[in-house]
Amino acid sequence: MSLAASARIARRELRGGLRGFRVFLTCLALGVAAIAAVGTVRVGIEDGLRANGAMILGGDAQMSFTYRRASAAELDWMHSHADAVSEVIDFRSMAVVRRGEVTERALTQIKAVDDLYPLYGRVELAPDMPIDRALAGDQVVMARDLADRLGLVVGDRVQFGLKEFTLSAILMRAPDDAGGGFALGPPTLVRRAALEGAGLLAPGTLFDSDYRMRLGGGADLAALQAEAEALFRNSGLRWRDARDAAPGISRFVNRMGAFLVLVGLAGLAVGGVGVSAAVRAYLDSKTEVIAILKTLGAESRVIFAAYLMQIGVLAVLGIAIGLVLGAIVPQLLAPVIEARLPLPVQLGVQVEPLAEAALYGGLTALIFTLWPLSRSGQIRAAALFREEAGAAFALPGWRVALVTVVLLAVLIAAAAVLSGVTWLTLWAAGGIAGALALLVVVAWALKHLARRAARAQALRGRTALRLALGAVGGPGGEATSVVLSLGLGLSVLAAVGQIDANLRNAISGELPDVAPSYFVVDIQPDQLPGFLDRVRGDPGVTRVQSAPMLRGVITRINGRPAREVAGDHWVLSSDRGVTSSAKPPKGTVLTQGTWWPADYAGPPQVSFAAKEAEEMGLKLGDSLTVNILGRDIDAMISSFRTVDFSTAGIGFVMSMDPAALAGAPYTSIATIYAEPATEAPLLRDLASTYPNITAIRVRDVIDRVADLMRGLAAAITYGALATLVTGLFVLIGAAAAGERARVYEAAVLKTVGAVRGQVLAYFTLRSALLGAAAGAVAVLAGGISGWAVMRFVMEETYRFEPLSALLVVFGGVAVTVLAGLGFALRPLAARPARVLRSRE
Amino acid sequence: MADTILDLSDVTLTLKGNAGPVGILHGITLAVARGETLGLIGPSGSGKSSLLMLMGGLERATSGRVHALGHDLSALGEDALARFRRQHMGVVFQSFHLIPTMTALENVATPLELAGAPDAFDRAAEELRAVGLGARLEHYPAQMSGGEQQRVALARAAAPRPDILLADEPTGNLDGANGAAIMDLLFGLRDRHGATLVLVTHARELAARCDRVVRLRDGRIDEGAA
Repeated sequence: MSLAASARIARRELRGGLRGFRVFLTCLALGVAAIAAVGTVRVGIEDGLRANGAMILGGDAQMSFTYRRASAAELDWMHSHADAVSEVIDFRSMAVVRRGEVTERALTQIKAVDDLYPLYGRVELAPDMPIDRALAGDQVVMARDLADRLGLVVGDRVQFGLKEFTLSAILMRAPDDAGGGFALGPPTLVRRAALEGAGLLAPGTLFDSDYRMRLGGGADLAALQAEAEALFRNSGLRWRDARDAAPGISRFVNRMGAFLVLVGLAGLAVGGVGVSAAVRAYLDSKTEVIAILKTLGAESRVIFAAYLMQIGVLAVLGIAIGLVLGAIVPQLLAPVIEARLPLPVQLGVQVEPLAEAALYGGLTALIFTLWPLSRSGQIRAAALFREEAGAAFALPGWRVALVTVVLLAVLIAAAAVLSGVTWLTLWAAGGIAGALALLVVVAWALKHLARRAARAQALRGRTALRLALGAVGGPGGEATSVVLSLGLGLSVLAAVGQIDANLRNAISGELPDVAPSYFVVDIQPDQLPGFLDRVRGDPGVTRVQSAPMLRGVITRINGRPAREVAGDHWVLSSDRGVTSSAKPPKGTVLTQGTWWPADYAGPPQVSFAAKEAEEMGLKLGDSLTVNILGRDIDAMISSFRTVDFSTAGIGFVMSMDPAALAGAPYTSIATIYAEPATEAPLLRDLASTYPNITAIRVRDVIDRVADLMRGLAAAITYGALATLVTGLFVLIGAAAAGERARVYEAAVLKTVGAVRGQVLAYFTLRSALLGAAAGAVAVLAGGISGWAVMRFVMEETYRFEPLSALLVVFGGVAVTVLAGLGFALRPLAARPARVLRSRE
Repeated sequence: MADTILDLSDVTLTLKGNAGPVGILHGITLAVARGETLGLIGPSGSGKSSLLMLMGGLERATSGRVHALGHDLSALGEDALARFRRQHMGVVFQSFHLIPTMTALENVATPLELAGAPDAFDRAAEELRAVGLGARLEHYPAQMSGGEQQRVALARAAAPRPDILLADEPTGNLDGANGAAIMDLLFGLRDRHGATLVLVTHARELAARCDRVVRLRDGRIDEGAA
């Protein structure tokens, strides 16, 4: 019965239209739209990966090896199961172009392919031609940025190793572009057979061989994987198949999607503040109606239900608008998104991300409206006789508080489960809650301080400032609402700004001081003495280090599969560099154990990186099975040593005694620390003398990583901006809601003798105070978040970035003042008599 | 009249309404002498409050002239009018019109501050004590009764020692006892400071306390009334 009465009241009230709910709808719709759009793109990419797995991988399944090609037994097995097997040899090399006296060099990732490549899809070339024609004879195709860097056009000659090739076309897109991992150089495609005589694949050269298989329909990929892994155990085989063709990209997209959803949730929290303020303002305007209803005998719960229904209808409308936007915007942006990704994306209307966004929207709307709604029940009939609106701050009853807490827990749990990054979600939720709590405290403190400052003797005579302080400190919820909404939006932006600036510093600012100029790989043993003489003899070289290098995969720890013991530790995720040394190299710091004797020839021993060993739970005396070139070596850990990977110097997780690796074909790696002026001539000379070696400029690597980080930072910044835009809407909403009060204040002030300049100064100062407070909190919250992310997620040192912080504070003041001034025009222009008479 | 403080000649006021222009005042000519207490009476909608607003420069006449203390209010800009009120006028409204975000003391001190008075707060406190609110200086309007709020409004109007006090039905929202107390205070202030008082009221007994009464009917002065 009471519900029916509530519904009738709600329906009648809603006849008044949506006036006053624009901010409510905008906040909810924006938050839901952002989350829905991010989810739709994420699912689109995942669908694209799934549907085109075989094309992206280059085959239905792939077996890969490092340092070697497949054995006859392995090839036989593959041919017995597959309709076709295509081999791709993948390695780094230098592309060299000579034009008279000038020689240009650039790092490239060479893919040496056979006649069957690609098994699936088509290689797009410019000019358009079949790949077979483009690679016929001694011809190559290369990515446009590589050709541009070397100043090459189609038909030009380019040298790899000892051999010259002709550039037949520009590689626009290969179907398996996204399947590979992070490559330092742009790709070049060449026929495997054409590399004969180039001297590039000498024993010990670091290369990967991939065997892509085309399997008949209905092949059981899981069963084949199990069979291959059992049959070729300990051979260093790595298996991938179309079920997860680009694990790196999937993981990245998932992480990125989850992170952006968390940023989107921060946006919804900001929007929630606006939603809450809108409901509060709406109920303030309904004080008289509620008082009348109570006078007429309506119980509190009838009134509460009536207004809950109204807000519910509006929330459904806001969420629906958000869902429509979130579904449509990715479709509109599809061409842009597809052009920027190296893989096919299948953007469509996806139910799952829309449902997730709707769930977040609904929960946020409830969480942020229950408290203000509970005030409807607390309004007394006596309100009719005394102005109560905006005066009282009331805590919700225990039932409302309990329901709000439960809903909040449900929201956080849903985000933790659906995002798949539980800890990050909990940290983010804690961060948002912490920032909100800090903002509430600051808003309260600001009001308190403003109140006291307004009474200070020193301010007497500074009328505009005293009025502003008095207004900020006075009753009413505007100060809290503005500080909360803007502060939370700015906090997200400040955190992103701090993290971004710190990351940039970490990548480009600090490393070069200690980093070498070049990494040189693939130095053959017979080349090493001459190489070192040449480098050490150069006066511009300050230091050179070299070490033999092989690559090996840790397969077992104490006889058990390594992943069972140490989980997903990065050391186990792929093959790692292994070196050897009779004596501890200069500067080695052993943290535990002892180095083997110089002439040691007993069972293999290994010295392991101390920090990684601790993370993996390794102890002295543990046995490691390391597969090197298909051969298992069981080595006992005899020492732990400090390895600093952050200086970009030579750092090996594992160093073995020389006898353990005797007979294995190895090459050497060297790091050269040189004066900038020496770098180019030295590289020219080395590359001419040793055409097979590959020199990697550390600055280029840093730039490449920095590019990736910038892309990441840009995506996060867009997410943060969406939060700030929501914050701006809340701010504009607060300013708009306050306009009526400003009109009234201006009228009264003019009546008692204030000129417009004084009124304007008062309004401006009032806005600036709120903006500055929000900005200051944002800098504090952003600083704490930045520190936490740098310290715990990136494991980097944190340094406070004042420029980014200042921008946030000034930005906060500027937008608050602008929003405030935008709504000050009507109050300034209004005639006092009409304003005051309308309130009589 | 040599000692005229307010002088209105042939004043009309037309406001734009939704249904077109609405004539509020029609050809009002009226002079108020310095120190005089003038009562404006008349039925609802007769234009009493509008006339008072014109006298205070809060509304601009559509035609005719409004002179106050020799200044032509019709010729003054918005800010000049504000400065003029700050120096010469105090206004009291039926709905008090206190700024809700300010305490009683701040509300009363504001016009003094705007006028640049160095002792604004001391004078404001003194004025509040004079209307019996010495214990309520730090209270916000929402924390006070209607009668108390109107006393604050009275103190605010009187604090700058204006030459002219304009009061628009100051007891309209108050009960009999409170209304009477407010009127005693208002007349007391007038007597103490020697200001000219123009009082809009429905109450005949209040009008009777004025030196002169002008009755309005349909936006015109009802010449037949006394």
